[in-house]
Amino acid sequence: MASRGESGMSNLEFHVLLALAGGPLYGLAVRDAVAAESGGSLAPRAGSLYRVLARLMADGLVREVAPAEELPPHPGLARRYYALTPAARGELLAETRRRKHAAAMAEKRLGVAPGRS
Amino acid sequence: MKRALLSLVRLFPPAFREQFAADMAEQVERDYDAARARGHPALLWFALATAFDLAKSAAVERWSPTWVHTPTTSTEEQAMRSTFHGWSTDLRLAARALRRSPGFTAVAAGTLGLAIGANAAMFDVVDTVLLRPLPFAHADRLVHVAASAPGTEMPAEFGVSLEFYLQYREQSKLLEDVSTYNSFTSTLRTEDRVERVRMSSPTNSLYSTLGALPILGRLPVAADEDRVVVISHALWATWFGSDPAVVGRVYDIAGRRREVVGVMGPEFRFPEDGTLLWIAGEIRPERIEPGRFWMPLVARMKPGTTPEAVARELTLLAKRLPERFGGSANYVRIMERHRAVVRPLTEQMLGAISRPLWVLFGAASIVLLIACANVANLFTVRTEGRQRELAVRRAIGAARGQLVRLQMAETLVVAGAAAAIALGIAWAGLPLFLRAAPAEVPRIGDVRIGAAMVLYTLGAAALSALACGLVPAVRASAPDLARLREGGRGSTRGRHWGRNGLVVGQTALALVLLIGSGLLIRSFDKLRHVDPGYETQDVFTFQIAPEGEALHDGPSFARFDMDFMARLRALPGVQSVGLVENVPLNEGTDVGRFRTEDMAGDPAAAVRLDFTFAAGDYFKTMGIDVIAGEPFSSTDLPSTLGKVVVSRSAAGRLWPGGGAVGRRLQLQGDSTWSTVIGVVEDVMQYGFRDTAQATVYFPLVGPTPTSWMISSPAYVVRTPRAESIAPEVRALVREVAPNAPMYRVFTMAGLARDSMVRLSFTMLTLGIASALALVLGAVGLYGVLSYVVAQRTREIGVRIALGADVAQVRRMVVAQGTRVVAVGVATGLAAALASTRALGNLLFGVAAVDVATFVGMSTFMIAVGLLASYLPARRASSVDPMVSLRGE
Repeated sequence: MASRGESGMSNLEFHVLLALAGGPLYGLAVRDAVAAESGGSLAPRAGSLYRVLARLMADGLVREVAPAEELPPHPGLARRYYALTPAARGELLAETRRRKHAAAMAEKRLGVAPGRS
Repeated sequence: MKRALLSLVRLFPPAFREQFAADMAEQVERDYDAARARGHPALLWFALATAFDLAKSAAVERWSPTWVHTPTTSTEEQAMRSTFHGWSTDLRLAARALRRSPGFTAVAAGTLGLAIGANAAMFDVVDTVLLRPLPFAHADRLVHVAASAPGTEMPAEFGVSLEFYLQYREQSKLLEDVSTYNSFTSTLRTEDRVERVRMSSPTNSLYSTLGALPILGRLPVAADEDRVVVISHALWATWFGSDPAVVGRVYDIAGRRREVVGVMGPEFRFPEDGTLLWIAGEIRPERIEPGRFWMPLVARMKPGTTPEAVARELTLLAKRLPERFGGSANYVRIMERHRAVVRPLTEQMLGAISRPLWVLFGAASIVLLIACANVANLFTVRTEGRQRELAVRRAIGAARGQLVRLQMAETLVVAGAAAAIALGIAWAGLPLFLRAAPAEVPRIGDVRIGAAMVLYTLGAAALSALACGLVPAVRASAPDLARLREGGRGSTRGRHWGRNGLVVGQTALALVLLIGSGLLIRSFDKLRHVDPGYETQDVFTFQIAPEGEALHDGPSFARFDMDFMARLRALPGVQSVGLVENVPLNEGTDVGRFRTEDMAGDPAAAVRLDFTFAAGDYFKTMGIDVIAGEPFSSTDLPSTLGKVVVSRSAAGRLWPGGGAVGRRLQLQGDSTWSTVIGVVEDVMQYGFRDTAQATVYFPLVGPTPTSWMISSPAYVVRTPRAESIAPEVRALVREVAPNAPMYRVFTMAGLARDSMVRLSFTMLTLGIASALALVLGAVGLYGVLSYVVAQRTREIGVRIALGADVAQVRRMVVAQGTRVVAVGVATGLAAALASTRALGNLLFGVAAVDVATFVGMSTFMIAVGLLASYLPARRASSVDPMVSLRGE
């Protein structure tokens, strides 16, 4: 399992992990969550999204899970659900801190007061 | 477009697809629909961006995979297995479904089978006769050489003469080997058998030119002179029981004792399939008389040269012939204008038959296309009927691919049955076809059902399955889900263009065939009504070759002939008897240069005329009109001495001022003059397409006993029993000349039929093909209109309920059919205009674009179309509005 370490993670990877942090989701729902949570700045197309998902799975950050019982049945093909692994939580946290730190530094340099908009 | 985008998902590696393909597809589909809702520009941008994204990601994924998860069995393997499993299940299901509708299955498989069978049989013939290389080593380097002399009295192509052979053989740098040959019928006598057979006396270089070696014995050499023969495999097998001891034996062959020195292999057949032996011989330069043009010449080119280059070289070589061999002024004049004609041997041997065969193969292929269109129609209608079932399948989760596969499985099962039927039809039909085919077609005897034909049949069936099944199958895969909601009625408007297109195509193709066969029928009719200058009805003809001590010169043969003719005349039912050296339609006459007493001073003024020898009541028996004077006396032989009969145009050319009777003429190279006693009508010697010949008829006996000797003339017998008299004649021959074989036994009517066989055979076969095409086309139109009427029953019911005239409803349906047929006829006319030229020289007295035929056949086609539309129209007009409305 390769650690992201200092190399950091891409914006898309971050948002995918972020989306899954709320609970297991299927592919299209991941995309929709990413689009919404990035404020529309990220709208990954199918090829890119699933390669990222595949990489995250290969790195042991995301795994496929059985759909929860209470999910409403969907007509048509069975969907695959994805969830974070325990390792992913640490990675996500570390990345969040890095981003927070970077954001704080930027605000300071740009002369914007933190916590307000 | 959506499907194209989705198909890009396949670019990903299989393992990746297995995990993510469904999700990717879901996203692409969803986004596609969303983009489409935003309008065309958005959709276009989405499509481009998505295609790029998918392709790029797939490429990167293949280059450096992120997804290396390996399942227990490879997904490819799994996919294969499930596909095979799916196919076998589908085929089983399809077979079961088809068994439940035997009518549909029988019609579909029968139609396809018939068309494929006819097509495969024609393919077999084309393949065997035309496509296979000639059975000689490096056959592509073999050429036929002839001569032409534009601007002289011999403008058409003609055979070369012996001096050409010598010159070419000794001096050509582009030819490896040259050989001349001929082909004739003569007597072969063994210990227990005597017959007239086809033989040839080629130069000994024939074998090396063609690259052939004997399977037994040796080839002739110069020292053999003409005392040895090489026999064909067929003769060896049939006359000699394939006994190797035949080599070294001596038999009576073509008038002298000759030794068999070799046996050729079965594939060596030259110049005709029926040539049974080859007499050895070499050209003696000292015996050459320049200008005796008649010989065919075959040559082998050196590798890397072309017929055109060879023709240039040979033309130059021939220019030097007069200085080497001398020759008459006329010969010199011809040689000044001489151009060598060089063409591939394949073309020479197969050229004449290739056109009819390709035409027939084309016709069979058109019938197959029409049959495919019909079966495609049947399947489409069947699919329409199953729309509800398919919609349900799709709704409960069947993939589109599965539905396509199920549909294709049905076409495949039908095509399989069709292939079996096709093989049966080819097996039964091919012998009939071959029996009707002209006997002179080379290699026609080799045509048999072989691996190539079976493969072709299977291939044609598979292609037909694709052609018939793909459109309905794809349509089946996208069933109209609205049907579920509407209770299976659904709208059908706008769905007919496909089937109308099929009917347009069918009509057009059928019309092309109809016009083609119409043109051939008219040609045949014209040819049958040609007046050849003689009557073909009630004339029986044959030849014998009597031999004996007493028969040694002209007068002795003439006495035999006169006695024999008297015996023939005594047979019951015989009205008159005559003889001729070369009977029309069977043999060519000799050609010579003649002069009159007026021309005596000027050798160049002599006229080229055909000549032959006649006796008895030849002109009366053949029904050749006597125009002036009288023909030879039928019984008084001495009275014919020194007399000749000339034909009308011969008289015209010798004495342009008229008054031929009583004048004298002389054959160049002959010292005696003959007096014209009668003028008769010209006859067509070579066939009904040629111009009639200007002919001089000499009597049976010449001025001296050795002037000429007619040893095996053709006897002609006029009798109403021409078809049945042969046995009595044979008995008579056995009596008067026990050892003389009787050969070339024909009726003139039979010879006339044979002379037209290439046309009549093509006409008959093309006629059958166009009749088939017409029926299939009419059935197709009928089917489409019936279906449309059935679909519109409700609409028609409403119209009638609202007071529409029944006749009006009927007209509406007929009009719909007529529109489709009209478009088909217009298309067909255009196609026919472009293609009837392919009939080429099969046509006689009819232009390739014959207005009467084009208009007539189009009218006929429209009439058939109207009939095919009328039946459904009548059904439509009898719709009971109450029933049709309640049916909803």
